[in-house]
Amino acid sequence: MKRFLSILLCICLTLTLVGCGSQGVDSKNANKLVIWHDKEDAVIDALQAYLTAAVPDLEIVFEKKTSLTDSLKLVGNDPSAAPDLFIFAHDKIGVFAEMGILAPIESLLEENALADYLPMTLDAATYKDTLYQLPLYFETLLFMYNRRYMQDEEVPATTDELLEYMQNNTGRGRYGFVEQHSTAYYSAAWIHGFGGSIIDENGVPFPDAQAVKDALNYHAQFVALMPGETEYNTVNTLFLEGKADATIGGPWMVPSARAAEIDLGIAPMPTVDATGKPLAPYSGVQGIHVLKFAAEQKTEAVKKLLAALTAPEIGIDLALASGCAPANALCYDDERVANDELVQAMRATAEIAIPMPNIPEMDVMWTVVGNLLTDVNLSGKGIDESFDAALAQANQLIDAMK
Amino acid sequence: MKNRKRDTLVSYAWSAPSLLLIGLMVVFPILYTGYISLTNMNVYHWFDFTIVGLENYFRALFVFDSGFLSALLATIAWTVVNMVLQLVIAFVLANLLNIKKLRFRKLYKTILMFPWAMPGYVGILLWKTGMFNTQFGLLNQWMEKLGHEAVRWLSSDVSAFICCTVVNLWLALPFMIMIMDGALQSIDRSYYESARLDGAGAIAQARYITIPAMKPIIAPAVIITVFTTFKQFDVVYLLTQQAGAKTGSGFHTILTYAYENAFITNNYGYSSAISIIIFILLILFSAKFQLKEDNA
Amino acid sequence: MSKRKLKEGAGLTALNLFFILLCFITLIPILYALSVSLNAQNSLLSSDFSFIPKDFTLDNYKEVLFGENITVWFRNTIFLAVVTVFLSLLIAVPAAYCFSRRRFPGRKLILKCLVLLNSFPAILSMFAIYRLLRPMGLINRQSGLILVYTGTMAVFSLWNTKGYFDTIPTEIEEAARIDGASDIQVVTKIVLPLAKPSIITTALQVLIYVWNEYIYATTFMTGEDQYTLAAGLNSLQATEMTGSWPVFAAAAITVSIPVLIIFFLCQRYMTSGLTAGGVKG
Repeated sequence: MKRFLSILLCICLTLTLVGCGSQGVDSKNANKLVIWHDKEDAVIDALQAYLTAAVPDLEIVFEKKTSLTDSLKLVGNDPSAAPDLFIFAHDKIGVFAEMGILAPIESLLEENALADYLPMTLDAATYKDTLYQLPLYFETLLFMYNRRYMQDEEVPATTDELLEYMQNNTGRGRYGFVEQHSTAYYSAAWIHGFGGSIIDENGVPFPDAQAVKDALNYHAQFVALMPGETEYNTVNTLFLEGKADATIGGPWMVPSARAAEIDLGIAPMPTVDATGKPLAPYSGVQGIHVLKFAAEQKTEAVKKLLAALTAPEIGIDLALASGCAPANALCYDDERVANDELVQAMRATAEIAIPMPNIPEMDVMWTVVGNLLTDVNLSGKGIDESFDAALAQANQLIDAMK
Repeated sequence: MKNRKRDTLVSYAWSAPSLLLIGLMVVFPILYTGYISLTNMNVYHWFDFTIVGLENYFRALFVFDSGFLSALLATIAWTVVNMVLQLVIAFVLANLLNIKKLRFRKLYKTILMFPWAMPGYVGILLWKTGMFNTQFGLLNQWMEKLGHEAVRWLSSDVSAFICCTVVNLWLALPFMIMIMDGALQSIDRSYYESARLDGAGAIAQARYITIPAMKPIIAPAVIITVFTTFKQFDVVYLLTQQAGAKTGSGFHTILTYAYENAFITNNYGYSSAISIIIFILLILFSAKFQLKEDNA
Repeated sequence: MSKRKLKEGAGLTALNLFFILLCFITLIPILYALSVSLNAQNSLLSSDFSFIPKDFTLDNYKEVLFGENITVWFRNTIFLAVVTVFLSLLIAVPAAYCFSRRRFPGRKLILKCLVLLNSFPAILSMFAIYRLLRPMGLINRQSGLILVYTGTMAVFSLWNTKGYFDTIPTEIEEAARIDGASDIQVVTKIVLPLAKPSIITTALQVLIYVWNEYIYATTFMTGEDQYTLAAGLNSLQATEMTGSWPVFAAAAITVSIPVLIIFFLCQRYMTSGLTAGGVKG
């Protein structure tokens, strides 16, 4: 029996020792940079190829991380477990900056490096007057239509026209227009079109209550003509199978639409008749963030990497590799980029698109607005009652963050 | 006396590795959560948090409003309904599978285990998109073929509750069947023979032999399943409450409710306090449950 | 006599039909996935679905087996699963035997506490476990995951084996002891063979937990070559913009098959020695 016990203890000990013995050698190599991301392969391949050529003396390792934000919250500033940099959308900047794991990057860039960047992308990357992200490319929602069913001259210029088109073309398992109507990211465009917003820069939810209610009220007519399902796959499939004439979707839908041999048209967002403003979607700016310890310990390597990434070439590579809209305006001078309909459409939308708020409070608003939309659109509750409940929930949650 | 002490020591020594690991992976997280619940660890004080006493608990009381109460009641109903169905169905199936002359028993058993062999979220996703989806789901395709209107299966509280129960049973039954099947193997066949000689029918045999013999063996698994059902999150959240894919149902268990009303705030101190309170509630319930058991 | 046989035969046929129907119902969502995975079109959803794919292809399976890192993930998972199952049983059996046979102070209290403690909602445990593994240097190591998995399943393993041990009559053990068998001999030669069904159910449950767990695996491990099957599968569908449903469905089915084979093979050993040995209680 004693022998048995000692074997057990040995196993437990070795397990612990094996772990202890071989950890944390990586951080010593000052020229090795680990970058976490959750992007598709085409983007990363383009980045890797460009960087290998541009900064050959750096060893750049891209690691795909599925639960990137959760993992970053855990490993934070721990050099043995955290990456040196990571690529993500700009909307978590506030959270990570407040947590204290992000390095301001202005001092790591060459002077005037950002002079040619689209202002919208720099706005998005700035939190409390500090720049925390080097934008690479951005995404916005686009109005897409299937030319087989919706002719170019039929494309609605205003929302009333869109509604009329839907009334005439919906029924018998077909839809004139579909979108993820009860999802905050998509509905924000309608709220913005009515001059409202989900949260202002001071963290006040629904600064213009009436605008939000008007948007909900007006939008409800459209929802009635769409499927009772707000989830991505349904909407996506309806459009790809040719059961819906038009949709509002992101650039990520384009490859599958082309694969499904849809004659895809891309049009400007329709204008809201009541306000004269276009439906203004959120934009997401994908960029590279530097962790604090990396900025301190590997300053030179990080500087070199960022310098390489500010060159227009990489933006062009990304645009050509996977249809991203580069953040650097110089990229659009390239002839091949200029001829890409999709990239140009996003470039145009960038003028009206509103960057997702990057303050920490926004984190809870996705859920609050999702609940509000579901209550109104799918559960059939009254707008005023649902709005009051949502506002109360928003205030309670924002309060609970502190 | 000395001998007894030595005996105790030996018992603990044998159990030490198991208890040690449980201490590390089960007890420590609870204690740690308890500690964090007394601090102000949140986005604004991620690394430099300080102890703030019971403040989080006072604030947590706000979450325990009417919404929480109805979520709690729904959770209790959910646990009872699921456990009763699970036990009854698994018992019947396990017994049927043990009928001697059933030749393809192994094949049946293996196929019935399939839902269990898949990662849970995959199964839930298949149900959500493959079965319940209003536009494309098989259920609605069949409804249409039968000439009925399409139904929004997950949109109202009651039908969402039923759909979640179906999926949960689909996921949980294989394990229960296996446990019961294992327990059935331990019953001495000769009991049944003598019972049959005494003229006992199938129901009497089940009642006087099978159930009493199975009870102690399956008790641990059943108790653990009760708790897993009580704190079920994935089924309800992924089917009806997932951000960006909500269906309009108001059915919440306490965990999905706490998730939406506290955990998403990134305030670890506050969320920890709520976890601890839910934990205490669970203990209170099980204590009451156990008292009743002892009386019976 | 023949009439009774006929009746029995009819009953048996009905039973077989019942089980065939039940198996079919259980399999509907899985057949759905199977059909999607064998179909050439890239869609999880389709408005004219049939169980038999119209545009039959094995490309998705080819991609799963040769395109993704699935062999690496498979190897990782097998390693984790085998070690975790082995360790779980190794620590659970002696403890369960003690808790079943010996009486010592604290026994009842510990048993009761264990099940309560296990009921703690684990959503927030992640952080604590990170704090625990980090100083031990076990982040991003398989040994760390093994520790987490074994610990998480320890309560179940202990309880489940103990429950079965309780039902084994002590008389046989006493007889063996009189014959001069040591404690270890009693456990390995007598108790374990008798408790086979419970050992196997415990092992299977641990195995399946490891096989299907992906939250710890994706959070604590970095880099695709470190993933387990479940974690890899999760990364395949995590980004809805890039996710390919047929490949995902093919992967989901591929991942489940080994578990089913193991289950099928284990069934032979699920019958206890108790019925064969003819022990009267």
